[in-house]
Amino acid sequence: MKAKNQTTPNGLIGKMINALDDERLSQFAIPIVSIILTIIAASVLLLVLGKNPITAMNGFLRGSGFMMKPLYAGGQSMLTDFLSFLGILAPMLLAALGIIIGMKSGMFNIGMAGQMLAAGFIATVFVGYSGLNAYIAKPLVILVGITAGGLIGATIGFLKYRFNIHEVVSSIMFNYITSYIVAFFINTYYKDIITRSSRICSPASRLSITGIAWGSSKLTLPLGIILAIASVFLVKFLLDRTVIGFEMKAVGLNRDCAKYAGVNVGKSIVLAMALSGVFGGLAGVTYYVGYFNSIVPKELASLGYDSIAVALLGNISPIGAIFSSILITIFQKGSIYMSSTVGVPKEIASVITGILLLFSACGTYMRYLARRQRERLAEKAKKEGVQ
Amino acid sequence: MSEYIVEMRHITKRFPGIVANDDISIGIRKGEIFAFLGENGAGKSTLMSMLFGMYEPDEGEILVRGEKVKLSSSNEAAALNIGMVHQHFKLVDNYTIAQNIILGIEPIKKIGGLIPYVDCKGAQEKIRELSKAYGLEVDPCQVVESVNVSIQQRVEILKMLYREAEILIFDEPTAVLTPQEIQYLLDIMVELRNKGKTIILITHKLEEIKRIADRCAILRRGKLVRVLNVAETSTQEMANLMVGREVVFEREKQPANFREVLLEVEDLTVRNEDKFDVVKNVSFSIRRGEIFAIAGVSGNGQIEIADAIAGLVKPQKGKIKLKGKDITAATIRRRTEEGMSYIPEDRQRLGVVLDFSLEDNLAIKKYYREPFSQKGILKREGFQKFAEELIEQYDIRSGQGAKTIIRSMSGGNQQKAIVAREISLESDLMIFVQPTRGLDIGAIENIQKQILRERDKGKAVLLISLELDEVMSLADTIGVIYNGQLQKISPAEELTTNEVGEYMMGVKS
Ligand SMILES: Nc1ncnc2c1ncn2[C@@H]1O[C@H](COP(=O)(O)OP(=O)(O)OP(=O)(O)O)[C@@H](O)[C@H]1O
Ligand SMILES: [Mg+2]
Repeated sequence: MKAKNQTTPNGLIGKMINALDDERLSQFAIPIVSIILTIIAASVLLLVLGKNPITAMNGFLRGSGFMMKPLYAGGQSMLTDFLSFLGILAPMLLAALGIIIGMKSGMFNIGMAGQMLAAGFIATVFVGYSGLNAYIAKPLVILVGITAGGLIGATIGFLKYRFNIHEVVSSIMFNYITSYIVAFFINTYYKDIITRSSRICSPASRLSITGIAWGSSKLTLPLGIILAIASVFLVKFLLDRTVIGFEMKAVGLNRDCAKYAGVNVGKSIVLAMALSGVFGGLAGVTYYVGYFNSIVPKELASLGYDSIAVALLGNISPIGAIFSSILITIFQKGSIYMSSTVGVPKEIASVITGILLLFSACGTYMRYLARRQRERLAEKAKKEGVQ
Repeated sequence: MSEYIVEMRHITKRFPGIVANDDISIGIRKGEIFAFLGENGAGKSTLMSMLFGMYEPDEGEILVRGEKVKLSSSNEAAALNIGMVHQHFKLVDNYTIAQNIILGIEPIKKIGGLIPYVDCKGAQEKIRELSKAYGLEVDPCQVVESVNVSIQQRVEILKMLYREAEILIFDEPTAVLTPQEIQYLLDIMVELRNKGKTIILITHKLEEIKRIADRCAILRRGKLVRVLNVAETSTQEMANLMVGREVVFEREKQPANFREVLLEVEDLTVRNEDKFDVVKNVSFSIRRGEIFAIAGVSGNGQIEIADAIAGLVKPQKGKIKLKGKDITAATIRRRTEEGMSYIPEDRQRLGVVLDFSLEDNLAIKKYYREPFSQKGILKREGFQKFAEELIEQYDIRSGQGAKTIIRSMSGGNQQKAIVAREISLESDLMIFVQPTRGLDIGAIENIQKQILRERDKGKAVLLISLELDEVMSLADTIGVIYNGQLQKISPAEELTTNEVGEYMMGVKS
């Protein structure tokens, strides 16, 4: 009659199995197991390539400023690396928040990259080249980001609501349209002859403060990360505690019922896409007028797509996105240093991100396996008990 | 060999906050129709889901044909020739009937012995044979979303038979059917039993049990109360055992006190997606203090009338007036605020957001107002307090109270939640489509009394029900609909059940 106790396997593996099967714990256990599996898979891959996986993993961490590099160039230190990491973490997190808002409302805003580019470009042209002082320029850049991203998002939402055009289709179209229009203007008016990118924007307009001396190193303080962290809590509040969030979730989970209950479904869809675009726009300005200071024509930021992985890995929750964005950014940001020290192409980082996404998408299957295993153990324990 | 084909011993199943099945032991004989009766949330669906491998019991064991089995998936149950038609159907809407039936066990043939493909032709042939053998007419090539619920149910039955099920479980199969369809289904069940199948039937309708079942198990709050021989027990006895108190079948109705006209529908025409007029020039009005029932065979346009009044579909022509105001083009929200409640037919698609909690669903028409929110910010205490009041008042049972996700609640309790929400709006006009569908007799008694009370308070009620009994016992005025037209509108006391039936079939006009 002690069967109840025996269903709980012991040891580390046993605990893991239990956590995976548990209603509440599984939302943490699944990402952790995914990460462990990814690291194992990546290590195998590196071993096959004849490289030392430990050096590679260290390389990612060193490149992101989480570990000391053996050698630093002049003006560089672990702190510069870490701040630079935060600089690129900000747009990643902001873009992921945009994806999350979309998904909660039942929409897939795959056009993050385009919304980022549009916002970044408009901010560069109107504020970045203007010569305004920092106190006016920086808020203005943020405002432009919000407006530009929001307008594109709203348009996509409107097309969906009014003409039933699927948001994935229209936002991919918008990506191309934006990319070509921006490229046209840069190549015609704003090109820097040497770099072949757009001319750089003024330091006053950038969402980062450059050239701060600290010891022997020169630091760049990323302002975007403050914006990003604040946004996480803003989005969480919006989704959990506001009337708008309640409506968006209802529409996302059951559009028919939302309509029946009197929610203005069209308005909610447009609003959700607009908000999603707002965070895309913010990601864009922190990326192009913050972390970077110019725009390469005809190139969409791969970060816009990585943010989908971040949102999914973080269980489509704003808080979860903090952790998943840190993780994925370590792989992306650290890839350059890793590749130069280990001697594998830096694209391996994208492969690892891909593997990670693959494993985290198997969450339900993992739960199923865990349950199976747990029952098998219970069965065995019961048999032994009988003997 | 044991005398039972299925034996469940000391089965216990717990869910967070509730013991759904508490030490239940039961044996079912081969070739009998075995019924389960019990209040909403008593644990009937849970118990049968375990026999079908959807859940595993926490304690106890299951024996099939005398052998102990472990059922951890419905495939394993199917391998033991167990099939189940669920309370809420599990069909793929945009697949054809044939595709749905073979889904998961597709017959594979190989072109030239190499390239595998699904043998649809062969499957269709086999399905046709089965339909003929059991009188379950379907067209295997039709897409599921284009056929009505009764055909969908046939598909579910064929699905079981195609898998050569010997033990067939039906979870409230008649809740969604019209009286004629019910008749037909019951005949088929008897036929199946006569061919040697074992039938397990979950239902809230005592007369069905009385008519076809051999034995009946009564559950109450997770426990087995008794297993009885149907032939030796009266329906009243069964009802009392199930609810644990005396159940009153007769409704006490105060004489009607009609006041001013509240709802006017003039010349309403509704066209469906296929450009076909499903409601044709319908006019009627409802006064305060009146229960106006629309009786009719399902699919004759009654749902579309309700949808049009509630604002879910745009009428092709005609006018709808509420308290003298033209609301034909008003938004749904405005109609609600002007005083309109609506219990829709399809509870899971329209009535609730399945992944929202009970409290969110109960407040889904009021969340933007005080005390649920203030200046756009939700006030959770408001949700909780309101939910607790309704849970208490309507006896809504669930594992975790107000915070329970609606999806995990029993079908009847989902329905109770919707009814509670709509009545609590205190609207002047209440549109109730099948308000007591899936409820146990105790709950039906409760809700019907409540409806009568609302009428006595001076509300206008539009009742649309397939159950003639319900129509006859509640309505003050009856409109019979046939083929999109109101055939006859007359005071209830001037019509007999038979006459209504004749109008419904279009025999009399
Ligand atoms: N998946 C689940 N998770 C949590 N609780 C559940 C789940 N399924 C059922 N329950 C709970 O178990 C109890 C029994 O539910 P069950 O569906 O078996 O009732 P039922 O007898 O079929 O009722 P009804 O007549 O309303 O269909 C209910 O209180 C329900 O809330
Ligand atoms: Mg049930």
